[in-house]
Amino acid sequence: MYEIKVAVSGINAVDNPGPGVGVARSLKEDKELNVTVYGLAYDAMEPGIYMDWVIDKSFIMSYPSGGRDALLERLGYIKNRHGLDMIIPNLDSELPIYTKYANEIEEMGIKVYVPTESQYKLRGKDKLEEVAKNMDIDLPKSKVVTSAQEVMEAVEDIGLPVMVKGAYYKAEKAYTTQEALNHFHKIAAEWGYPLIIQKVVKGEEMNIVGVGDGEGNTLGKLGIKKLWVTSQGKIWTGVTIKNDAMLKAVNKFIEFYKWKGPFELECMVDKGNVYLIEINPRFPAWSYFATGCGINLPSNLVRKAFGLSLNMNNDYEAGKLFVRYTYETITDMTAFQNVISKGEN
Amino acid sequence: MDRLQKLAVNSEGFVFDPTTGDSFTANSTGLFILNRLREGKSADEIAEELKKDFENAPEEVSKDVSDFVTHLHTYNLM
Repeated sequence: MYEIKVAVSGINAVDNPGPGVGVARSLKEDKELNVTVYGLAYDAMEPGIYMDWVIDKSFIMSYPSGGRDALLERLGYIKNRHGLDMIIPNLDSELPIYTKYANEIEEMGIKVYVPTESQYKLRGKDKLEEVAKNMDIDLPKSKVVTSAQEVMEAVEDIGLPVMVKGAYYKAEKAYTTQEALNHFHKIAAEWGYPLIIQKVVKGEEMNIVGVGDGEGNTLGKLGIKKLWVTSQGKIWTGVTIKNDAMLKAVNKFIEFYKWKGPFELECMVDKGNVYLIEINPRFPAWSYFATGCGINLPSNLVRKAFGLSLNMNNDYEAGKLFVRYTYETITDMTAFQNVISKGEN
Repeated sequence: MDRLQKLAVNSEGFVFDPTTGDSFTANSTGLFILNRLREGKSADEIAEELKKDFENAPEEVSKDVSDFVTHLHTYNLM
């Protein structure tokens, strides 16, 4: 097997971990793929830089806000100097730039398997009603709001308590109209308009990670329930589940939108009713859970991008446990010095 | 397949629901009732079986079986 050099971002395996280290680990575990993994970091302290058993080489990148030229220049440097065949961007903040310039990156000879720009827009919470409808599932009663007056009208119509959500980020629960207004102003100041006022639905939160091939097929998926989360809401312990209603809805999502690339769907499930809560157009930080259950999604993503045979053994066992733990690695200063002085190690 | 049939139940009484990820524990009597329900037996049949199998089974065993079934309904397992 020829060597494939794949760069992954989000190697900040900290208390709010990025997905990159799990993706890198998954790629390394496919023994039929000869993958050299590059880590793309934004800070010299990102732990993935120092995890040389999963990440072979690391590069400091300019922030996505640096724009197209800075990104393409850095990727061009890595490509020309060290070779680079594919990128798997794993952070929300990177996806707008990678989806927008996917064609230009591909023209550089670097594959990037991300959702199209129109698919990317579906994650907006003001779009979820349409998505849920096309998945044949429900969306908690919601109203898109842009003013305090509309917030009050929405609360009156929906009834308390409500969730106040930014279009892309942040969600707060409100038990009174005043609390809803406070959350509205705070979220709007941080993330802009519009916001969504949404009914609080009862049920259990369940999540699915998967990859779509862009042609209406899945390259694998895995359903989980989070059993224990950190104070930041990040999974610490979870269990695999097979909820037929949710899995069916996900198949519809992939078929209908011909989704391309990784995704995480967050749902609330109350008996037979499935409510769509959120779409994340990237791998979640817990995606190694799928690999550990025999469904190596990052590997299939790379295989699909390079036209290699896919591992389509997509069945998994319900009741497999995910347990995250802390671990320390001790290293000398060389890697840190290299990253600081040369921007790579 | 109905929810009861999908449950993963071990001999110690640990019960895992793969549809929701919930887990439960049942004592030996609960496990007995659960396994019989999964075999398709009715609450009355199970109560009769309990009376035969367990010495000094209390008269209210039928009510206990019925309560257990109510619990399963509460957890949406039936």
